[in-house]
Amino acid sequence: MTLLLAICVAVIFGVSIYLMLSRELKAVAMGVFLFSHAAHMSILSMSRSPIIATGIKTPPILVGHGEQLANRPPVDPLPQALILTSIVISFAVMAFLLTLLVLTQRRAGTLEVDLLAKEQLP
Amino acid sequence: MDLPITTLALIAVFCPLVLSLATLLLPRSAILARTLVSIAAAVISVAALVTIMVTQGFNLPTVAVPFVPTLDISFAFRFDQLGQFFALLVAGMGIFINIYARGYFGRDRDELYRFYPTNGFFMTAMVGVVLSDNLLCLLIFWEMTAISSFLLIGWDREDKTAVKLAMQAFITTALGGLALMAGLILLGLATDEWTISGVLASDLSQVNKGLLNAAFLCMFVGAAAKSAQWPFHYWLPGAMAAPTPVSAYLHSATMVKAGVYLCARLYPAFRHLEIWPYVLIGIGTLTMVMGAYLALRSTDLKKIFAYTTVSQLALFICAYGLGTFDHTSHTDHHAFAPVDGASIVLVSEHNPPIESAADEHAAPASQENMIWPIVQIMNHALYKAPIFIIAGAIGLLAGSRDIRKLGGLLRSHKLLAWLCLAAGYAMAAGPGTLSFNAKEAFLYQIYHAAQEHPIIWFVGAAAVFMALVNVAVFVRLLTTFAGLRGSMEADVQEEEPHHHHEREGGFWGACLWWPAAFLLAFQFIGGIFAGPFSRFVSQIETHPNYWASLPWSWQIHFNTPPIYLSLLAISLGVALALSRVWRTFWKDPHDNLYPGFYWLSVTGGGRAFRTIQTGNFRHYVVFVLLAALAGVIASATIRPELLHWPTGPDVAPIYESWPGLLIAIVICVTALLLPIVQQRVVRVLILGSTGFSVTAMYLLYQAPDLALTQLMFEIISVVLFLLVLRMLPDYNPRPKNFKIVGVRIIVSAAIGLSIGWLTYVAATTDLTGVQKLGDFFIANSYQGTALTHGHGGGGNNIVNVILVDFRGFDTIGEITVLGIAALGVWALLSKRDAEDLDFEPVENALDIPGNGGPGISSLVFRTTQRILLPLSLVFAVYMFIKGHQEPGGGFIAGLIAAVALAIFRMATGPGALLRLLPVKPERLIVLGLGLALLTGTASLLFGLPFFTSAHGYIGSGVNQVEWATVMAFDLGVFLVVTGVSIGMIVRLSEELE
Repeated sequence: MTLLLAICVAVIFGVSIYLMLSRELKAVAMGVFLFSHAAHMSILSMSRSPIIATGIKTPPILVGHGEQLANRPPVDPLPQALILTSIVISFAVMAFLLTLLVLTQRRAGTLEVDLLAKEQLP
Repeated sequence: MDLPITTLALIAVFCPLVLSLATLLLPRSAILARTLVSIAAAVISVAALVTIMVTQGFNLPTVAVPFVPTLDISFAFRFDQLGQFFALLVAGMGIFINIYARGYFGRDRDELYRFYPTNGFFMTAMVGVVLSDNLLCLLIFWEMTAISSFLLIGWDREDKTAVKLAMQAFITTALGGLALMAGLILLGLATDEWTISGVLASDLSQVNKGLLNAAFLCMFVGAAAKSAQWPFHYWLPGAMAAPTPVSAYLHSATMVKAGVYLCARLYPAFRHLEIWPYVLIGIGTLTMVMGAYLALRSTDLKKIFAYTTVSQLALFICAYGLGTFDHTSHTDHHAFAPVDGASIVLVSEHNPPIESAADEHAAPASQENMIWPIVQIMNHALYKAPIFIIAGAIGLLAGSRDIRKLGGLLRSHKLLAWLCLAAGYAMAAGPGTLSFNAKEAFLYQIYHAAQEHPIIWFVGAAAVFMALVNVAVFVRLLTTFAGLRGSMEADVQEEEPHHHHEREGGFWGACLWWPAAFLLAFQFIGGIFAGPFSRFVSQIETHPNYWASLPWSWQIHFNTPPIYLSLLAISLGVALALSRVWRTFWKDPHDNLYPGFYWLSVTGGGRAFRTIQTGNFRHYVVFVLLAALAGVIASATIRPELLHWPTGPDVAPIYESWPGLLIAIVICVTALLLPIVQQRVVRVLILGSTGFSVTAMYLLYQAPDLALTQLMFEIISVVLFLLVLRMLPDYNPRPKNFKIVGVRIIVSAAIGLSIGWLTYVAATTDLTGVQKLGDFFIANSYQGTALTHGHGGGGNNIVNVILVDFRGFDTIGEITVLGIAALGVWALLSKRDAEDLDFEPVENALDIPGNGGPGISSLVFRTTQRILLPLSLVFAVYMFIKGHQEPGGGFIAGLIAAVALAIFRMATGPGALLRLLPVKPERLIVLGLGLALLTGTASLLFGLPFFTSAHGYIGSGVNQVEWATVMAFDLGVFLVVTGVSIGMIVRLSEELE
């Protein structure tokens, strides 16, 4: 599982950076969007593979009055907590980024990175 | 009045600041009240200092008032001889300067209105510098003096030159201040003491010598910049742009001596360093000669005296370097032996070596007895301040300060000319003045030190040169004022001295000169009645018996060599002044240092900036990525094992989980499709499918909360993306530049592979036996352990408990970020902006028909959403309530509600949604944030730390329901998330219509 996740991280990071380097800001925004997926999965891999010798670990949910199942410990909850807030924040960042795209188009009349670099904005 | 010592200390330091600021409350016309209050401030400060000195002596322990207790910084003041002397000098001079300022500025109410508060600020800062025991407080006061000096030099804000010179002085001394800060921090780290008394008491022989040397050098740079030593001396003559009260006060008598003070302060700690004498004597001698020479080549009275100040300060610095030589020559102590006060006594033939008080007092405070130039410093202040005061008065009354235009001053302004000559006589160290005695003492010491260290003759030569220049300056003044042979005036066409202003008469008019006369009187009293004066002054001298070793003015021993040095200096000085040598103005090449530095940093920096900052986004991304890549390569070089294929217990074959393999393939394929596909709607859908596959991956990784959140997030994101893309024009692809594509592929592959590899290596590192942070949360999520004093979070859903309880404080920050982002969207998309720019949304961008109408017109969609909305909202509430025990919680519930409302919005249009919502989205955010904060602070009411949670149960058995205070917090999170998501969608779609 860890290896799979690492491969996914590599591919998504690569694609997202390829997109970030594209000529147009819309594609750049998509790259940023993908970037967060890769980062999240990279963090998630730190909770280690849920598959262990005795079976599969449980989700980080205890049962009854805070007990664990015998032989089936819960996975590490910390990376999940970190990712959860990160997902919500990346949502806000993305919405902000999209708004900036709209404004850039309005003010500069283009979303092309090379043209924007030459543009003398007020 | 019996005030506690702490109060007295605070009064002594802060009274000038507080009272002079209070004068701002007076009406501008209240000149008399303003002047009297400012003078009183200085008098009160002096009174407080004297009270402390008389009642407590000099062995008062440090008086501390907490300032930043958490950083262990306090306003700690020490009232030993050195500090008291300087503080009295500053505050006492302050009295006379405040009186003189009234005479100087006359009845100009605006000038006085500004001057007194600024000067009071300086006074407090300077008294703070010399009394501070805490290293960091010393630095704060030190920088305060630089700021006040800046304000006072650039006094005439219309005068561009003055402002430039103020900047020059400020930047030079502030850079020195930075060096001082580095030095103080190094010293603090080296000794682990953050007070001066602590550093002086600590055993420096145990301290790393390299660190100590570095600390000393850094601090010396700070001291040299402040005291205008080479190569920083250029700022002091420049500072003469300030009004004369400032020149007399800051730039001759007090502030410029801060560097000397620092050397005196650190002398006991650093004098055993091998480099100490060489640095001090080297820089001091060089500056002494250069300052003296430049004084001869200047014509403005104030500049002349400024350069003699530079050389005089250099002499003090030199003296502290010489102290070490004297010490080592008389003792066999090894370097870093405990400080022995007795061994640094000035040895004289007439007076046997005097046992220092250090032997009687075991306290460390008494061990730092200074050998000398305390009285030298006082002596300098007593002639330099008057000479500046008179120079300023001459400038005002005679219309010029250029010595070439002052011929015959003795006839036109008799009083001023005589006073100036008296001060000049003191400066030239003529017999019968305090200066004479001080100079004799210095030459005496040099002579004796040079017996054992012939190299010191070098310093002696410099000192003689300085003395002869002082004599020459005096003779030039005399000949010019009296119109004798050798006068300086012939060189320029004479102008009729004209009176610029009608000066007022009476007492306040006389203030222009009598403070100088008063101070000068001490010069002559001290010179003529050396015995009684010395007994009086010696109380404050750091070495109590120092004065006793001086020759009295009527007991000059013509058979001792130092007197020959004096006579040599006097005769050469007179000869030089009468000759035609070194008369013309000569510009100091060092004056180009600062402009050069300024040009280099501003112009050069601008050029460098424009080279790197291309403004092209892609270049920035590449720069950042290459830096990251360099980091990866560097760490792989340092730790080659990073490149080995991992072999830990966590390593498993790739086919370990077939569903995982399948999902991974989907993720990779959809991701790789993205750059290939060009149609933007398809692109967004592919982006969405990548996200949904990631959601599935979360499920496999046993993260139900993440999967739920990601699912909702993905839905909203796709909707937002489609909304926005509709507003943007289509991109018409141009032929690709394959070279650029190649670079893109190489960079992105390199980054992707290295991050993926690092992820794999990190996630398979053998952690057997390592305690993981996650285990703490698992153990304490519900019940709590000894670590949490048995207070668990009371929740089974560990992730939720972490978010709302353990890391609740962080979550507050995160939802605040959310709120700010939403506000940013609102602000950026203000309606006015859209109208101004006459923006037309691009049509036919999306294939959803009927935009701008009441919503999407599909009947099926509109009917379904009517059922869907209440169901989804109820589901959101359910997810919220169960969140503490099972998957769910505020974040997820908020996103679910937002998705439901977004669908409703799409079906019915904007009006219906706003009618449906009880409060506007932006208010939801405020409400939620407020609720979350309130929950956090509620625990404070019970005397518990911020964000302490409580939980319990209602009912029993099957009906048992759990409650927890964090539920309220989670509700806040819920409200913020709903408000943010809905608000953004509403705002963006309004924009579309």
